Amino acid sequence: MRRWIRTISAQAEETAETLGGKALGLVLLHRLGLPVPTGFIITTEACRAFLRDGRLPEGLDDELATAMADLERSTRRAFGGPHNPLAVSVRSGASVSMPGMMNTILNLGLTTEATVGLAAETGDRPFALNSRLRFLTSFASAITNADMDGTGTVHAGHPGRETEDEETRLTESIEAVENLVRERSGQPIPDDVTRQLEQAIEAVFSSWDAPRARTYRELNDIPHDLGTAVIVQRMVFGNRDGHSGTGVAFSRDPNTGENIPFGEVLFGRQGEEVVSGKSMTRPLRELAEREPDVWTGLLDALRRIEGHYRDACYVEFTFQSGELWILQVRPGRFVGGAAVRVVTELVDQRIIGRDEALLRVSPLHLRHVRTPRIASAEEADVLARGIGACPGVAVGRIATTADGAVRMARADPVILVRPETSPNDVHGLAAAAGIVTARGGPASHAAVVARAMGKPAVVGVAGLTIDRDDGSVTAGVRTIPEGTLITIDGTSGEVALGRPRVVTDAADEHVHRLLAWADDVSGDHSAREEAQRLDAAQAALRNR
Amino acid sequence: MTWPEAGATDTGLLVLHALRCAGTVSLARLHAITGLDESDVESELIDLGADGLVTRLSGGIPGWSLTEAGRAADSERITHELESAHARARVTAAFERFLVLNPELLDLCTAWQLRAVDGVMSANDHSDPAYDSRVLARFADLDRRAAVVCAELSAALPRFGRYRVRLTGALDRAASGELEYVADNTGSYHVVWAELHEDLLATLGLQR
Repeated sequence: MRRWIRTISAQAEETAETLGGKALGLVLLHRLGLPVPTGFIITTEACRAFLRDGRLPEGLDDELATAMADLERSTRRAFGGPHNPLAVSVRSGASVSMPGMMNTILNLGLTTEATVGLAAETGDRPFALNSRLRFLTSFASAITNADMDGTGTVHAGHPGRETEDEETRLTESIEAVENLVRERSGQPIPDDVTRQLEQAIEAVFSSWDAPRARTYRELNDIPHDLGTAVIVQRMVFGNRDGHSGTGVAFSRDPNTGENIPFGEVLFGRQGEEVVSGKSMTRPLRELAEREPDVWTGLLDALRRIEGHYRDACYVEFTFQSGELWILQVRPGRFVGGAAVRVVTELVDQRIIGRDEALLRVSPLHLRHVRTPRIASAEEADVLARGIGACPGVAVGRIATTADGAVRMARADPVILVRPETSPNDVHGLAAAAGIVTARGGPASHAAVVARAMGKPAVVGVAGLTIDRDDGSVTAGVRTIPEGTLITIDGTSGEVALGRPRVVTDAADEHVHRLLAWADDVSGDHSAREEAQRLDAAQAALRNR
Repeated sequence: MTWPEAGATDTGLLVLHALRCAGTVSLARLHAITGLDESDVESELIDLGADGLVTRLSGGIPGWSLTEAGRAADSERITHELESAHARARVTAAFERFLVLNPELLDLCTAWQLRAVDGVMSANDHSDPAYDSRVLARFADLDRRAAVVCAELSAALPRFGRYRVRLTGALDRAASGELEYVADNTGSYHVVWAELHEDLLATLGLQR
């Protein structure tokens, strides 16, 4: 009788309250017959017991041992074993989404000995070392509550290419992380897999009560007593070889709502690197050329998931040696014009009816429909893509220092392009028409200041580098000089060369159709604000 | 083990270092940052200017800023101050605690500026006092934890004491209705916090 642990399977019947939202998504994937790495869930109930008593609940250790033994049997691998070692991921999964608040540990089980085993098995020592390094950094970040990513910077390089240099660098990085943990916590990272697993679970449970997570819940009306589940799954390695990688995909374009898959892929890399925005990703469609089988499998998965949700969807995936695995799924949650376009097209596809379309769009979405946007990513020459941090379009010449921005802005509008910003850049931000940063997320210094100043901003443009000597900016394979005219879209995060067409009515046709349906439902065809027309229709539908 | 009492930083270095941490700033802001009278600040700026360490920018955004030489001089003097006070270990430890609080502060600033309604992130138009006071309550909670870090820092180097005064001052003004003191003006909590972040990096000679 299992009390604290459930197997991830199509038969799991409990709710998100017990299993967590992420696990429920995995159950759905199973039901749809999609490839999900084998694993199990430790329930939110166990988390609540841990938070109450300050230790893992009685009996969990036995259940864990059994669950891991099952996992070893079904994968035919040995947890901590010197041959065919089993590595697992340990992820948080609450019943409500708390993005970026809680811990994830990858490649757990790669002890010193298991790493040697993995190197022998694959004949690829850099891969094994790289995987161990990622385990150590993610584990260290989780138990010390500090970001260790800078300590042993993880770069897969070219998968499969074995150079002594790379091995030396990886070995040094591994030592650096081990030393830092010993220094910070007074204890080494355990080299015993059972201890690793227990500590990782404790770290994920504890992260529920981290002050930052508490603050997030306070601000978003989430009760503090829910707790998080923990998902333990067999690891799939996006850094395994040249036919491996990881990515995220929307079934439709979240910027426009257009019915074409949209996302990013990172070849030869693992897990979190796509989501964290720390690495240079490639547009999803490159998968079609490089890994046609994975692409076909992904398209099929997106189609089936859309069929289930009857809505656009989002997935996180990894492919190892050409084999696709889905790691997470949720509805697309589009906003603004994209939301309007999706529902009208779903009506055209006879997937939903007009009434449901009207109920799915919040009147608030209509407010954002008129925000200026780059007309089309296809026709624009998109140089790079980051995270839109303050909506709106800005056009200007690139300035790469705050002083330069002030100087250049006397003649022409400028876009300040920086690795990231600090108070030393604020006069440049004030002079600029818009801001681009290579690092940082939607809550970075640059994002906060840009919003305070009401300036379009794109942050977290991974892979963007600035030459400090000549001020040139490199994105991917292209290098452009300071002073080049660019256009940025603070909604989609696009950075385009020159002055592409900008529109304020990208979704006009779809908005008109939706509102015509709205007027038919409410019976009121008088001239009113768009949001009022939708409001009236929703009120009428709810009173039916 | 006891540490030698670190003395007050001399006013010239205070002004120099304020420019290092705050970027291009006006006389009025230098007064707010350092706590020195504007006339004293001005006289220091003249001396620093004569040494080629600071320069006055005119035009759209007037203010004082460091020259390359000023940046180098600040780095040397501020490191010297740190080492002679034997404060590196204590400032480093406090910085690590600061880094734990930093993402939470940025989350709070974002929550102050943006609010998710029906899944749409929209500008917080401050029309919902209940929401605003909830965010401010979290700011106050964070500020209590930040106070511990600030106390450690000013025990190591007294000049860090200004941050406590300025952070609390910003929060008090925000709580009494001057909402721009959260994240939207040059004396806001966010701006003071970012200057403290920059100060810690500059003091310890670290890159972002």
